[in-house]
Amino acid sequence: MQTHQSSAHALSHSDHGTPLRATVIWAVLIAATIVTWSVGESGTTGPAIVGLLFSIAFGKGALIILDYMALRRAPLMWPLLALGWMTLVCALIGIAYWKGLAA
Amino acid sequence: MKYSSQSVALPYFIAAIGLFVGQIIFGLAMGLQYVVGDFLFPEIPFNVARMVHTNLLIVWLLFGFMGATYFLIPEEAETELYSPKLALLMFWIFLIAGAATILGYLLVPYSTLAEMTGNNILATMGREFLEQPLLTKIGIVIVALAFLFNITMTMLKGRKTVISIVLLMGLWGLAIFFLFSFYNPGNLVKDKFYWWWVVHLWVEGVWELIMAAILAFVLIKVTGVDREVIEKWLYVIITLALVTGLIGTGHHYFWIGTPSYWQWLGSIFSALEPIPFFAMTVFAFNMVNRRRREHPNKAAVLWALGTGVMAFLGAGVWGFLHTLAPVNYYTHGSQITAAHGHMAFYGAYVLVVLTIISYAMPLLRGRAANSERSQVCEMWAFWLMTISMVFITLFLTAAGILQVWLQRVSDTPMPFMAVQDQIALFYWMRLWAGVVFAAGLVTYLASFFVKGDSKPLIHA
Amino acid sequence: MNTCVQTLVSPPPSLRAVPSDGPARRLPGDLAIWFFILAELLAFGAFFIAYAFARANNVELFNEQQLALDRNAGAINTILLLTSSYFVVRAVQAAEASQGRRAAMWIAGGIACGAGFIVVKLFEYAAKFEAGVSLSSSTFHMFYLVLTFFHFMHVILGLVILAALWNNARRGRYGPGSMNGIETGAAYWHMVDLVWLILFPLVYVMR
Repeated sequence: MQTHQSSAHALSHSDHGTPLRATVIWAVLIAATIVTWSVGESGTTGPAIVGLLFSIAFGKGALIILDYMALRRAPLMWPLLALGWMTLVCALIGIAYWKGLAA
Repeated sequence: MKYSSQSVALPYFIAAIGLFVGQIIFGLAMGLQYVVGDFLFPEIPFNVARMVHTNLLIVWLLFGFMGATYFLIPEEAETELYSPKLALLMFWIFLIAGAATILGYLLVPYSTLAEMTGNNILATMGREFLEQPLLTKIGIVIVALAFLFNITMTMLKGRKTVISIVLLMGLWGLAIFFLFSFYNPGNLVKDKFYWWWVVHLWVEGVWELIMAAILAFVLIKVTGVDREVIEKWLYVIITLALVTGLIGTGHHYFWIGTPSYWQWLGSIFSALEPIPFFAMTVFAFNMVNRRRREHPNKAAVLWALGTGVMAFLGAGVWGFLHTLAPVNYYTHGSQITAAHGHMAFYGAYVLVVLTIISYAMPLLRGRAANSERSQVCEMWAFWLMTISMVFITLFLTAAGILQVWLQRVSDTPMPFMAVQDQIALFYWMRLWAGVVFAAGLVTYLASFFVKGDSKPLIHA
Repeated sequence: MNTCVQTLVSPPPSLRAVPSDGPARRLPGDLAIWFFILAELLAFGAFFIAYAFARANNVELFNEQQLALDRNAGAINTILLLTSSYFVVRAVQAAEASQGRRAAMWIAGGIACGAGFIVVKLFEYAAKFEAGVSLSSSTFHMFYLVLTFFHFMHVILGLVILAALWNNARRGRYGPGSMNGIETGAAYWHMVDLVWLILFPLVYVMR
């Protein structure tokens, strides 16, 4: 594992993007956090709001996974596993929320 | 063998195998008592046979761990053992104390044994797996302290590797947690706490460290993979094992008078306990796939891979089956527990001890590996024992599911003994699988005596 | 088993396809840490789902007690973790550009934000304990404490790892040819951030 990656690494251009890209992503993440916080402060609720909250969480998670963790350029299995985890967790939270509404 | 003092491992391994044979004989007797209730009655009633079966298991595994340590530590520390004489002395003390204890179980009633050995001074007897008389318990502590002293001193004067540090952590943990067995509070909930802090923290905590260290040592030797790579896996495995295992103790706290949050903590963390075992499986296969040499001891590689797979199945999958609180509500103490116990102990601890024996025994007998014929015999033993253990587990699982259904889930639950009659067929099948296991064990013993051209020992 | 493990360890050629525009696909950092990260994600995932379904059976209690949580502290901590992650990305980029010492400064920034998270969390816990919140006071409180504390321990471990990275970076041990250590540590720190991104809306906001 190590041997092939260090040699491949010397040849490749960056796996970790550019500073500008990282900074733009940071700004998006912070803005998304402020949206989530203001939803909480406003006290609004309901399936649409919860859908919005977890869509935001999913988007933020995807940015972290693909860019900050640099899985965008990893063998496909790895980003798929991480994004699959996000999808599954968010979906099950959604189902549980739905169940709570019906009860 | 690189250091002459490693040879003290030999008597430990021989004793381990001898006690293993005893364990299986009592296992077969109990298997028969399940269906022929008065077999050997009144000489060896079921409760005594069961106690001997489980105690022999623990004692021979401890012999195996100690032998493994005496073999492994000098080689890792690159120095002779601090005191081979002390190691041999402790061997005889432990063997005689162990034999006397087993004879005590068999020859006198348990209550008489308790009176004879000072249980009225400090009551420690009567708890499952910790039935040993006070004197034996004290003996175990003395042997363990002398053993740890010997090993720690050896390590202090030599090279300190991650493998030997993890092994030592496991062994110190084993000794320290055993001290909980001396406290037997009257309050039943507290009593369960202290009992599980020995039993659970052993098998789902520190024993996993010992197992991972032994497995890592053998894998380095047979695959030639860089130590650095193996050490990284070891860090991952022990962290996962400790976090899930320590908090996972909560799966023993359901509905016994503990706060209800244990149902959540115990369920979630113990549900994650398969992960370190899965890591060990991936680790073993990964290392063997990346091997840099073809070690002549093929049998040892087979045992090592078998440990990875069977530990994950037995401890991981079969543990998970009944660890969630809502499931355990129905399955607690049924034959499903017995199924899990059999495959977990075999897959994790029996196999890891047989792995190190398979690797070390030829070296201790002055050759790199046994002859082709002897190895083939040993591999037959592996498959016979492993496959029959899979069947024992499956039959007990089937028995357990039926038992839970008839006795606990059904709208018209049947009494315990009536249910036992209903599932007798599975007990018979389990007994026959046990006979095959015994045949595998005989094959294993035979493999030590098969002659043939063995590989000479070459120091690389 | 054998083939399945091989797949896990070195994906089959189909999954390793070389993107037409660039070099071969590569997993940053050590395989062992990624295995560990997956195990961690599984653990947090199990907790999140358990929380969600426990809430579904007790919506009023969860909604009422959630209102008493300090959402400002939660949001500030989200921002601290995200910023910390950003600094660590900049550190990795600096190391990749042969600027090892600058990488150390970025990591120090990451550590400062992580330490800020710890401080905010400790104030939050102090207020909660004052108010009589405990593991046994309610199912919601149990989940709130266990989930956030489990995460809290991960932040502490992550900070220890970052401190080791900082020390190595300061000594110039990271560069284009030796990225394994810093990538491994960074991946773990981002995981700590990632799980908080679900924890915050789930425990502090969703009702």
